[in-house]
Amino acid sequence: MKRWVAAVLLSLGLLSGCNQNSGPKRITIGVSFETLQTEYWVAGFEAIKAELKKRDIAVLEAIADGDANRQLEQVNNFIARGVDGIIAVPKDAKTIIPMIKAANAADIPIVLYNRPAGKTDAKSVAVVADNPGITKATVQYMCEQAKKSGKKHKALLLMGDLGDINAVGRRDGFESAVKEYSDIIEVVARVPTEWNQEKALAGVTNALQAHPDINFIFTSSDFLFPSIVAALKNADRYKRIGEEGHVLLGGFDGDPTAYQMLKDGYLDADGVQNVYFESEAAVQAVLDLKAGKSVPEVIRDPGFVIHQGNLNEMSPQMWGAQVKNAQAGK
Amino acid sequence: MRGRENIVRLRLRAGGLLSTEHQVLALCLIWFLSSIPFTPGLTSSNNISNIFSNLLPLLIVASGQTVVLITGGIDLSAPSVMGLAAVVGALVMSGDQGLLGGSAWAAPAGLAAMMLAGALVGWLNGAAITRLGMPPFIVTLTTMTFFSGLAVRLTKSEPIYNLPAVFTSIGKGSLFYIPYALFATVFLVGAMHVLLSRSLPGRWLYACGHNVRAAAISGVPVGATVTLAYTLSGVCAAAASVLYTGRLETGSPVLGQRLLLDVIGAAVIGGASLFGGRGKIVWTFYGVLFLTLIDNTLNLTGHSHFTIMMVKGGVILLAALLDASRRR
Repeated sequence: MKRWVAAVLLSLGLLSGCNQNSGPKRITIGVSFETLQTEYWVAGFEAIKAELKKRDIAVLEAIADGDANRQLEQVNNFIARGVDGIIAVPKDAKTIIPMIKAANAADIPIVLYNRPAGKTDAKSVAVVADNPGITKATVQYMCEQAKKSGKKHKALLLMGDLGDINAVGRRDGFESAVKEYSDIIEVVARVPTEWNQEKALAGVTNALQAHPDINFIFTSSDFLFPSIVAALKNADRYKRIGEEGHVLLGGFDGDPTAYQMLKDGYLDADGVQNVYFESEAAVQAVLDLKAGKSVPEVIRDPGFVIHQGNLNEMSPQMWGAQVKNAQAGK
Repeated sequence: MRGRENIVRLRLRAGGLLSTEHQVLALCLIWFLSSIPFTPGLTSSNNISNIFSNLLPLLIVASGQTVVLITGGIDLSAPSVMGLAAVVGALVMSGDQGLLGGSAWAAPAGLAAMMLAGALVGWLNGAAITRLGMPPFIVTLTTMTFFSGLAVRLTKSEPIYNLPAVFTSIGKGSLFYIPYALFATVFLVGAMHVLLSRSLPGRWLYACGHNVRAAAISGVPVGATVTLAYTLSGVCAAAASVLYTGRLETGSPVLGQRLLLDVIGAAVIGGASLFGGRGKIVWTFYGVLFLTLIDNTLNLTGHSHFTIMMVKGGVILLAALLDASRRR
């Protein structure tokens, strides 16, 4: 019996040895996402994997399902496996810090995708969208449209989870834009959604009841549009651009819903995070760090504003448009 | 003739191995050995220590769950206790905003507050079930909702950072290469093992799970015993929270929110019965080891999150089926 066990163990050991020694070692990058709950994260995840495939780099993937501890375990697994680099979307700015420290200790480069870490002396590179800048440009475009109409506008802002630095940046971008147009825009409601669709629906419904004359709505993320549209429809306020009673609408992300709304003439403007720029920058940064090159601590995605005036020209760069077209089988 | 005898003996031995209580351990070994060829880095010392550090907190909370399952109950509130304990501890000891932030007493007081929070929620569950006669499922479902809501509210959904180094070292420090977490786990889980296998209250716990009326007639203090089970489960969840919070260096209100299936799944895979009266800490250890191995190997081989969830779900379902078939 013992001999049998020894023989099995030996052959397994030989097999594993063959496995590890075969061919030149391919570069392997671990990709850890906190969640794949919204289309934005799915698009980012797919774009990173496509970018790695293009460069013939092997991928180890892990999704933490919103659990920071699971993310820590998965990143530790990557480190134990001896990956050449890690790209991570942190659960939040703070819980990622021990993971960065662990990667630093193992001398494995780590790049944070779309969410930066909190204050720490641990070393990482973050690729983030210019949230305040893109939001400001989007809201400025909306304000210009409002100005053209010659009427005063009452505005509603949907804020994200203010524990998320991206949500804070978008709120600040909005506030700084409307400040410049204070003669025509009055912000009458600020709805804290905590990135929750039900809260957004309740918040918009309540705000429309309290201020039936709201005619300017900006959401800090496109994934809240279904809630806004539902609330507007309930109040019979969902009208196309140019129709009587149209509510000026703006959003942030560049997702497929926003693309469809732009195409159908309901949405005025959308701030787009350039998923393709961010994923390429993240992969390049991790390879540069691995090669010992110096990389800035923060790489900013300048993004862009898409609106009715530049829809055809900019939609090839809008990730939501790509997802929508792929779904339609184009 | 002798050859045939040998074959029969071998079959008996193999059958014995599968029918004994160590079958899940055998399964773990088979899984581990057969994964070696396909999983680079599986046997590295780094990865082995990884597997154990991932396993310890889950083992603690699953042991608490086992005690509750033995009484025929279920504790759905364990993950919310972990979140609540993490937040309560962090609010006491964080250097940024803690009540005792910066004081030498911060870490011990925070630790005590965490364990107390766990014990209180557990006791509350037990009291509602035994004194008000409410079903465990609905009691722990509502306490889960209530206390995870409270944890988020206390922190306005923001994780709390800057915990004392003494505290975080419980989660990641070590003495002579042996992690503190291992000492804590061996102590706690060992105590639960002794309680269940060698003490009178342990026998009462099984008796309550087998037939609660018969237990009451035979003089078992059913109310106190069941309350003890839930209180222990709360304490275990809080202790697991100490380890998780320590290694994350952050008090997170959503800590462990997705862990419930792993906790109950590990106990059931080990062989604890969802119908009560059956379960052992050693079995639960095997269940935890198996789930951790699945996670680790599939993760290292680059399988997608969805595959891992499907495999884990499938394994837990099989274990539950096995449990139901034993009852028939």
